[in-house]
Amino acid sequence: MAKSLLLVDDSATMRKIILRTLRMAGLDIDSFEEAGDGNEALEKLKDKPVDIILCDINMPGMGGLEMVKEVRKMDSCADTKIVMISTESAEELIEGVLADGANGYVTKPFTPESIQENLSPFMN
Amino acid sequence: MITEICFEDVLLESAKEVFETMIYMSVEQCPDCITVEGETLLGSITFTGSIEGCMAICCDKDCAKTIACNMLAMEGDDGISQDEIRDAVGEIANMLLGSLKASLLKKNVGNLDVSIPCVVSGRELTSSLGEGSVEIIMPIYIDESVAELILQYRIAK
Ligand SMILES: [Mg+2]
Repeated sequence: MAKSLLLVDDSATMRKIILRTLRMAGLDIDSFEEAGDGNEALEKLKDKPVDIILCDINMPGMGGLEMVKEVRKMDSCADTKIVMISTESAEELIEGVLADGANGYVTKPFTPESIQENLSPFMN
Repeated sequence: MITEICFEDVLLESAKEVFETMIYMSVEQCPDCITVEGETLLGSITFTGSIEGCMAICCDKDCAKTIACNMLAMEGDDGISQDEIRDAVGEIANMLLGSLKASLLKKNVGNLDVSIPCVVSGRELTSSLGEGSVEIIMPIYIDESVAELILQYRIAK
């Protein structure tokens, strides 16, 4: 079944790269929204919850770590899967954000294969 | 030990990883006598932790445009805006430092906190690190274009 997706990253270039990578990976996405930081993402989620959030960590305004905690407080997003996409690779940080409610983690730079591998469990 | 790390090697490996994995461009170190000329863009990002400093990439505007077009998978470069080019250079600096951090983590340097990338026209990266700081400037070929990788750091007190 096709999924709705919210992509959160402060770099517009990175958002385009991720979208292209999702297409290359052949993932079935039917609606696609973008946000430049956590605050903008939360605003969009209030109006319209999504199936999957792909989220950067290092962003001005609200960063990804705080955003995950906020999304997990929202009843409307209880079933939303959150996959982090970040240049951060420290194990403690990854374990921390997964404990806070993220469901997957991809490190940048990434390959289409690593995106597919991390997202495909949430596509069914 | 931080003093035993060859930062030149780590820097070059990071650049290869970022450009070859994400942007499909090749990276080779080029002779030190080659420098970036003309109007340039400088993308930089600072870090703190057991070492602190700044990492940057400096390239001329044509090279920046080529990199941005490759990132966006654009055929020609007519449709690309200055904002898109700057954003692309900033994200390159972000990924370069991300890759560098990952290598340093494996060498037990500990995690580094990083800033948001900053992109300016020009080439002067002024260091406020003062005494005991190290600066590495490494010219590289990105496909046929020349860019400089710059790393300034010192062991934190
Ligand atoms: Mg970012």
